[in-house]
Amino acid sequence: MRNEIELESIIEDYLNGKLTEAEATAFEQLRLNDPAVDHKVVSHKVFMEAMADYAEVMNLKEKMDAAHAQIDVNTLSRQLGPHPSFIVNIWRKNKAAIGVAASFIFLSMIMLYSIQQNTEQIGKVELMNRDLAKIKTSTNSLIRKINSNNAGANRNAKPANYGGTGFALTSNGYILTNLHVVKDADSVYVQDSKGNDYKVRVIPIESQKDLAILKIESDSFTPLPNLPYRLKQNGVGMGDEVYTIGFPKDGAVYGRGYVSSKTGYNADDSTQYQVGIDVNPGNSGGPLLDQYGNVIGVISAKLSQVDGATFAIKAKYIQEALNSISKDSLGKSATFNKRNSLQRLSRNQQFEKLKDYVFMVKVFK
Amino acid sequence: MSNKLSSSVPTDREVVLGILNNSEDALNRLYAGYFPMVLQFILNNNGDEDDAKDVYQEGIIVLYNKIKSGNFELSSKLKTYIYSVCRRIWLKKLSQQSRKTSNIADFEDIIAVEDEVEQHEEKDRQFEKMQSALVHLGEPCKTIIQDFYINNLSMQDICEKFGYTNTDNAKTQKYKCLQRLKKLFFQS
Repeated sequence: MRNEIELESIIEDYLNGKLTEAEATAFEQLRLNDPAVDHKVVSHKVFMEAMADYAEVMNLKEKMDAAHAQIDVNTLSRQLGPHPSFIVNIWRKNKAAIGVAASFIFLSMIMLYSIQQNTEQIGKVELMNRDLAKIKTSTNSLIRKINSNNAGANRNAKPANYGGTGFALTSNGYILTNLHVVKDADSVYVQDSKGNDYKVRVIPIESQKDLAILKIESDSFTPLPNLPYRLKQNGVGMGDEVYTIGFPKDGAVYGRGYVSSKTGYNADDSTQYQVGIDVNPGNSGGPLLDQYGNVIGVISAKLSQVDGATFAIKAKYIQEALNSISKDSLGKSATFNKRNSLQRLSRNQQFEKLKDYVFMVKVFK
Repeated sequence: MSNKLSSSVPTDREVVLGILNNSEDALNRLYAGYFPMVLQFILNNNGDEDDAKDVYQEGIIVLYNKIKSGNFELSSKLKTYIYSVCRRIWLKKLSQQSRKTSNIADFEDIIAVEDEVEQHEEKDRQFEKMQSALVHLGEPCKTIIQDFYINNLSMQDICEKFGYTNTDNAKTQKYKCLQRLKKLFFQS
């Protein structure tokens, strides 16, 4: 027992390095010779290390407990613990995820918005298309309206009612107007600027265009002087100033405008000009003249919903229509005037000269 | 002023140097600095304040051992390290108690600390063995052993404290106690 106690204190001193060098050497010799002693040394060492670790942890825990006592855990718990409100909980737990989701939603909305912007524009174009389609139908209906007006007038048995405008193609009584003006007519009359009515015959022509040629049949008609205007088939440009004379009412009306497009209602319809000019039902068939008094086209239709968008058949097709009439029936004066006597005249002088060549077309159905 | 300092989170360098120098102030600031983070995690994952305290203290011990062992490199932020260790420890405890461990509510970044936590568990087993051995040792042996080996009292002090007639008696008593403790420790 005493030896054991002595041995252990020696082992402790040895492990703690408290033995002198000679004692340590002697003790190590003892360990080598006696496995039982060696085992005691090893196990004591392991145990002491465990004890040291334990002591260290205990020490640390003590310090931490002291530090812990400084912390107001209850307040912290209230701040950091699960909130009674489900929403706040969700927010706390998923702050990052919600942030990501929010930014994602934000981005998506921006994208959606821009997509919507784009589609909105497309939508507008579609709308525009529809508008155009509507305009198309209303153009047609405008023409019908003229017809129905005429028909209505006929039923009222008024002796004369205008349906459109025509202008002289030749000095011997050939008059050009729109086909839609005289279509399906029972009888057609023209009235000149002096108020004289002449019965006319519709000359059948081969034309795909909305053109018709009338021939004054009445014997009372005296041939006109040479035509003051000529047909101008080329060299008409956008922005060229133009004017027309027509009979939207019972007297000649002058209308001024400009060539707004060298194509018709459809951009690929090159048979017409679009003209920025205000016309009314009754202007149909009127001549479209440039500022020098050249006939560049025939007023035929307008867009009802767009102010001043009028279409005029190009002069080229007037010449075609003229050419389709047999030379015999046209007589000597069949060829269109090559000279333009209006060129140097002021507008009202032009008008004075022109008015005898522009006729009101009266249609009875 | 000191209160304000202790409530502020120390820099990572301060903590490492403080632990290496056994600075109590560094420990206090470290402890106060990151406790709310761990408390929040535990409270929101099926734990209470006591769980948070236990887990956090274990996490600090892991950090301590790591720094003391000398191979601690600041490869991540100390905050991330502590959070990850405490998280790992708490999840292990939860699964040991067969409590819900799915759908973990996280508040910080996480790094892999499985090895550290396993090493710590080994050490913790040793600690618990020693603790339980001491508990079973009973008085006055426990106090004598703790006074001699942990509090580094001399045999003379112990002799006086426990009223032994001479140090030899005290030594004999201490020897008997130690033998019993060793037996308890190694057998358990």
